[in-house]
Amino acid sequence: MNDIIFIIINGITVASIYGLIAVAVSITWSALGLLNLSYGFIFSFAGYGAWLAERYLYGEPIFVMFMGIAAGIVGGVMVCLLVFIPVHDKPNFTIRGMIGTLAISLIGGQILLQNFGPKAKLLPEFFGYGKIKILDVTLTADKIGIICSSIVMLVIVVRWMKSSRRGLEIRAMMMNPHAASIVGIGVRKTGIYVMAVTGAMTGLSAVLLSQTYYLSPFSGLTPMIKGVSIALMGGLGSVRGAVIAAIILGFNEALTSKFLGGRYVLMTQFLLIIIVLIIRPRGIAGILDKAREA
Amino acid sequence: MSDIKQKKNKTWKNPLAVWGSKGGNHEVPTPEYKNPHQIWRDTKTFKVPTSKIGRFHYEYKSTNHGEKIWNRLRWWPTRRTILWTQGVYNRKSLKPEKIRKDKRPIFWFFSLLFLAIAPFILPDGYKNSLLTAGGIFGIYASINLCWTLVIGTAGIFSLATYAIVGMSAFLTTWLSINLGLPWWMLPMIGMIVGLCFGIIIALPALRLDGFYYGLLTLGLNELCRVFITTSKAFGAASGGLYGADTFINENWEPMTQTLVQYYSGFALLIAALFLFRFVDAKRLGRILKLAPEKKEAFAEASGVDYKRARVTVFLISSIALGFIGGFYAAYYRGSAFDIFSFHTVIMGLAMITIGGIGRADGAVAGTLIIVIIDRVLVELGPYRYIIIGLLMMFIILFLKNGLFGIRKQFRDWRDKKKGEARSSRLERGGEMLPEQATETDNKDEIYRKRYDKMQREFLKTLICDEIIEEHKSKPLGQHSEALERVLYYFRRGAMNDKYVVKCEEPFKKYKIMALSGVRGRSPRLVEDKIYNTVDEAYHGLFLRRVQDLMEA
Repeated sequence: MNDIIFIIINGITVASIYGLIAVAVSITWSALGLLNLSYGFIFSFAGYGAWLAERYLYGEPIFVMFMGIAAGIVGGVMVCLLVFIPVHDKPNFTIRGMIGTLAISLIGGQILLQNFGPKAKLLPEFFGYGKIKILDVTLTADKIGIICSSIVMLVIVVRWMKSSRRGLEIRAMMMNPHAASIVGIGVRKTGIYVMAVTGAMTGLSAVLLSQTYYLSPFSGLTPMIKGVSIALMGGLGSVRGAVIAAIILGFNEALTSKFLGGRYVLMTQFLLIIIVLIIRPRGIAGILDKAREA
Repeated sequence: MSDIKQKKNKTWKNPLAVWGSKGGNHEVPTPEYKNPHQIWRDTKTFKVPTSKIGRFHYEYKSTNHGEKIWNRLRWWPTRRTILWTQGVYNRKSLKPEKIRKDKRPIFWFFSLLFLAIAPFILPDGYKNSLLTAGGIFGIYASINLCWTLVIGTAGIFSLATYAIVGMSAFLTTWLSINLGLPWWMLPMIGMIVGLCFGIIIALPALRLDGFYYGLLTLGLNELCRVFITTSKAFGAASGGLYGADTFINENWEPMTQTLVQYYSGFALLIAALFLFRFVDAKRLGRILKLAPEKKEAFAEASGVDYKRARVTVFLISSIALGFIGGFYAAYYRGSAFDIFSFHTVIMGLAMITIGGIGRADGAVAGTLIIVIIDRVLVELGPYRYIIIGLLMMFIILFLKNGLFGIRKQFRDWRDKKKGEARSSRLERGGEMLPEQATETDNKDEIYRKRYDKMQREFLKTLICDEIIEEHKSKPLGQHSEALERVLYYFRRGAMNDKYVVKCEEPFKKYKIMALSGVRGRSPRLVEDKIYNTVDEAYHGLFLRRVQDLMEA
C-alpha cells in the first residue's frame, strides 16, 4: 500500500514538472501556430539565470525561483522576437518557425556551453529537507513543494487566460487567428504575451527540475521531448488534455520504473502514446476533424 | 504642307483664289500651325522612368537551324534525349535558337565529375582531411536523399531517419561481432532491419498527419537513444559499439584506406541519387505529386491511392536507410550513440533545410555545406555550430525554400516588381475603364475611343476666335487648314445626336435639330431659336458642336 502511494506521489511530481512544459508547448502551438522546439534551450537558459542569481545576487530560495521564472520569460520573449515575429506572416511558416527554434536551441546551447562549461550545476533545495508523515506515508518537502508550486503556476496561468483582457486575446487567437486579427487583436503583441507566459512556465519547471537533478547546457532536451510527447498525447492546443496526459504518463513512468525497471520507461510511454494516437489521432482532448492551419 | 509649316505670319491664303473664289475667303487670319502628330507622340512616350528588368541579354544561346531541332543525341537504345532541348525563335531578333529547358543535368554532371576526380586534384596538404570529409559527405548525403524522399516525395514529416540508420548500424554491428558476419552481409541485414523499423514507424503515419507525426518520431528517436545507451548488449559505457567486420583493410597504406573510404562513400551517393531518381520521378513520385498536402481529397476522388503510395515510398526509403546503416557499420566498424542524439537530428534538418526541403540538389548541397563547416573547419571549435545555427536562421528568415529556392523566389519577386512598375506607368489611355474594355465584344471600339480622345485633345487646341470668326463669315466653301480639320471631325461624327438644320420656311425660318440615330425615330428639336438665313443656322450649329467638343 505504501509503495503504491509512493509511486502515485512520484508520478504526480514528475507529471507536474513535465506538465508545465507540455502546457507551454500546447499553448504556443494553438495560439501562435509555432512548434517551439527551443523550450530545451529556454529551460537551460532559465536554469542558468537562477543559478547566476543564487550565486551572485541573493541566495534566498524564493528569490532564486523568481529569477528563474524571469529568465524563462526573457528566453521566451527572445525566441518570439527572433523567430515568431519575423517569420509569422511568411509562406511555410510552420516548418520555418520550427527550424528557426531549432537553430536558436543549437546556437543557445553552444553559447551556454562556452560560458558555463559542460560541468553540471546544482541549484539549492528550495523547499528545505523537511518531511511530513500522513497515514504512514512520508512526504518530503521537496515533492510537496514541486507539486504545489506547479499547480499554483498552472492555476495562475489558467485564471489569467480566463479572466483578463490579454487572456481573452490569446483565447481568441487559439480559436481563429485570422478572425482575431480582423477584430483588432495584434498577432505580434499577443505572440509576445504568449511566449512570455510559456517562458515563465518553462522557467519554473527548469528551477524545479534542476534542484532535484542538475543543470547543464543540454539538460533541457529530455524534459522538452517529454513535454512535447505529453502535449501530443493530450492533444496539441488543449490545456486540459495536457494535464490529463501528464498525469497518465507520470503514473506510467512511476509504475514502469517500479515494476519493469527504468530502462523501459520510454518504451511503455511511447507505446501508450502511439496507442492513444492511433485511437484518437489528435490526442485525448484534441478536436478530431480540424488541425490548426496556421 | 511644308510651305504652311514655314509660314510665320498668321494668315491663311486661299489657294483656290487664283481662279477666283466666288464669294469665298481670299485671306483670313488663322492660328499658328500645330502638328497633329505631336499628340500621338506625346501619348506614346513613357513619362515614368523604366529600369532594366528582364531576361539576361548576355546569356549565350546556341544557334539552330529551324529544320534540325529534332536532330539530337539520344540515350541508346531509348528515345530519351540527353538534354531537354527546345528550338525557339527569339522574340526580338527572330533568330532561331536552341535552348536547354533544364540545365540541371549539366550542373549535376560537372559536380559529380569534380567529386570523382577530386582525389587527384586536391592539394596535398589538405588531401587527407578533405577526403575523409568526402566519405562522410557521401554517407550523410545518401541518408538525406532518402530523408528527402520521405519528407518531400511522400510528404511524411518524419524525424526518425537517423534512428533507423542508427538501429540498423547497431544491430548489424552486434550481429557481426557475435555471429562473425562478413562485411558484405551487413548492408543486406541492414535492409531487413530497416524494413522492420519502417513498418513499425509507418503504422502511426497512416493515422497522424503533419507535425503530429513529426513530434512523435522525435520521441521515437529519443526512445531508440535511451534503449541503446542503457542496454548492456550494446556496450553502454564505451560511447558506442565497435568491432564489426569492415571492407577497409588495416594493412593497406593510410592513403589507400582513405581513397577506398572516399570512393565507397561516393558510390553510395551515386546509388542514392539513382534511387531518388527512380522513386521521385517515376510512377510513385508522379502519384504523390498529384496528392500534395491539403489536396488529398482531390487525389482520392481522382482515383489515386496516395496512402498506399506514401507508405510504399516510406518503406522503400526505410530499406535504403537500413542499407546505409549496415554500410555505416561496415565503414566505421560500428557506430556511436551520437547518431541518435537530438543534435544529430538538428544537424540533419540543417542539411536539408539549407539546400531546400524536397529537392535532391538541395539535400546534397546542404549536406556539403554542413559537412564542410562541421568536419573541415574543425579548428573553429564550438563556433562551427554557432555558424551553422546562424546559417539556419538566415535561411529561414529570408528564404522561402532554402538555397535552391532562391531562383523561384527571385523570379516571383521580379515579376511582382515588374507588375508594380507596369501599373505605375499605366495611363488612362482610352475612355474605357478596364472592366468595360474586357466586356466589350468589339475590341476595335477600345482603340477607336483611344484615338478619338487623342484627336479631340488636339482639336481643342485649334479652337480660337479666328476660326470661329472665319466660319461666321463663310460657313461653306474652302476654309483655312485649322478650321477644315475641325469641320472634318464634326462631319464625321456618329449619327446619333448629330445636329442638323431644319428648314421651317425657306429663306426665312431655320431651326437646329438633333438626329436620333435610329431608323424610324424622328429627330428632336434642340432649341427654339429661329435663324433667319441658312448661313446663320450653319454657324449656330457649328457653335453648338464647338461647345460640345470643349466640354467633353
